Amino acid sequence: MAHELTVMMLTWEFPPRIIGGISPHVYYLSRSLAQNGVKVYVVTCDFPGAPQHETVEGVEIFRIDSYKNPSPDFATWVYLMNVNMQKEAAALVNSLNGKVDVFHAHDWLVADAGIGLKHVFRKPLLTTVHSTEIGRRNGIHFDYERMIHETEAWLTYEAWKVICCSNYMVSHVRWAFGLPEDKLVMVPNGVDIDVYSKNDDLSSFRSKFALPEEKIVLFVGRLVYEKGVHVFVNAIPKVLEKTNAKFIIVGNGYMKEQLSNIVKSMGFAHKVMFTGFIDDDTLRKLQKCADVSVVPSLFEPFGIVALEAMAAKSPVVVSDTGGLSEIVDHDVTGVKVYPENPDSLAWGITKVLLNDAYANSIRNNAYKKIQEKYDWNKIAQQTEAVYETILNVYSKTSWA
Amino acid sequence: MRMIIFSWEYPPRIVGQLADYVRELAIQLIKNRIETYVVTYHDFLTGEYDDLEGVKTYRVTNQVRTHIGVLTWVLTLNQEVERVAANIYYKADKQVNLIDAHDWHFIPAAVTLKKALNLPFIYSVESLEEHRSHGVNSPFNMAIKSIEWLGMYEAGGVVVKSEWMRDEIYRLYKVPLEKIRVIQPKSANWIKSILEIYQNAVEGGKIS
Repeated sequence: MAHELTVMMLTWEFPPRIIGGISPHVYYLSRSLAQNGVKVYVVTCDFPGAPQHETVEGVEIFRIDSYKNPSPDFATWVYLMNVNMQKEAAALVNSLNGKVDVFHAHDWLVADAGIGLKHVFRKPLLTTVHSTEIGRRNGIHFDYERMIHETEAWLTYEAWKVICCSNYMVSHVRWAFGLPEDKLVMVPNGVDIDVYSKNDDLSSFRSKFALPEEKIVLFVGRLVYEKGVHVFVNAIPKVLEKTNAKFIIVGNGYMKEQLSNIVKSMGFAHKVMFTGFIDDDTLRKLQKCADVSVVPSLFEPFGIVALEAMAAKSPVVVSDTGGLSEIVDHDVTGVKVYPENPDSLAWGITKVLLNDAYANSIRNNAYKKIQEKYDWNKIAQQTEAVYETILNVYSKTSWA
Repeated sequence: MRMIIFSWEYPPRIVGQLADYVRELAIQLIKNRIETYVVTYHDFLTGEYDDLEGVKTYRVTNQVRTHIGVLTWVLTLNQEVERVAANIYYKADKQVNLIDAHDWHFIPAAVTLKKALNLPFIYSVESLEEHRSHGVNSPFNMAIKSIEWLGMYEAGGVVVKSEWMRDEIYRLYKVPLEKIRVIQPKSANWIKSILEIYQNAVEGGKIS
């Protein structure tokens, strides 16, 4: 290649705009690619106070006006936002004399822009499927959902390769859209260990959340059905039969009031704390204080929160489903329990809380595993290898 | 000169007046030695490509079959229009001079092609959302108006069929009057005037 490998990322969220997991994912991936000598442009939605154009750690960020058009609903907003994203990205690529090698689109939210740019510039398109509509909704029930599902299918059809973050998602996406096996590539999600490495004295921080004699049991996630937080709440009395603990629930969601009522009716309001949404710094400290971190999800494409807990050296108990099944090896790097089963979950939590030697061993093994497998630098290299594979095929086509 | 016409209706798929008008226009352009392509919507009655009377016509269908409204349908369909237009451009060795987009439907594709490939476009206005919706201003109508605005703003020229429409566009979208050209369909100077504004846009497109 006459110039350095150049990638244009399309994403609807990028820090400081953080809605879900795509934002930190694209941030870390782009940063690590740049550190590996790849030129990365990120085209994303605007955010109050964030500049239209900036360079962050070697990555060039362009923010587009994403609220230019009035929109009757979320999906229509997405398609209209894509008009502006595509227009701005097209102008940018044109100003670079077309020197972009690959367009990398993250989820259906940027499907139109990715597909359009592929054809007007005749460059390969790659997509990372972070989640699916059929998985999020546990089926397709309405036209609104079907439209999104078909848009996802269209994006995977147009993409040269489809990246998924777990083997579970590879098979799920293959099933959902009927894709050939050789179109899918598994590249895991990563975690930034460095943000957990500060050695602060956390005893006064801890005392804000729990008494010294209480163990901390932590749940982090949206308070929605698919995250299994109701299973967590139902496990509380069973854990308290065996040991003294404080249950901290971080996050918001439509189930919050209902969950809080259940806790009150159990008579354990003094044992459970709902913090709502908290800032990154507080969350990380809390994860470091947690005697056990619980991920009881029913549907989980990857399970980044388990990786974060492992990076914070908190032992993890996860439901044996989706991406979580691959992150955790039972009795080695964590505890696996049956999904949607409060007895099994309580058993797992108690096992960790009552046996310090066991907790320490899974804590240490888990930390080793994330350094080996979920390091962003390695993930960037694996992603770069996917780009190179595509470009090798591309160079033999009439488009090259 | 080689050009592409975008229209969401084209015979045999006739929704309103636009289909026959666009076909007559394309035939006249060919008589004036302009290589003319039409990219339009596929309605399952027609093939993907034909060249009746010399008009090279590509018909595209929406890759997303289920929709919640006209807007999501139009916006996803735009990608196919854009894809086929890009294919025409590359097959012609990048020698396409102009796009003529009829009404708002395929304005997003025309705008991306302009930004990406420096392909200028003309916006030919048959009707406006303001009049179609009788002044209703729900987010749905406003979204269509925002696409019409984008078309007026980015176009190298705006063609209308009456002085009344010229004044409405001036009133609603504040488009400079010298950018709008009133050309009565099938009048004596019809094609001559169309060719003039095409030529203007092509030259203007090269400058900007």
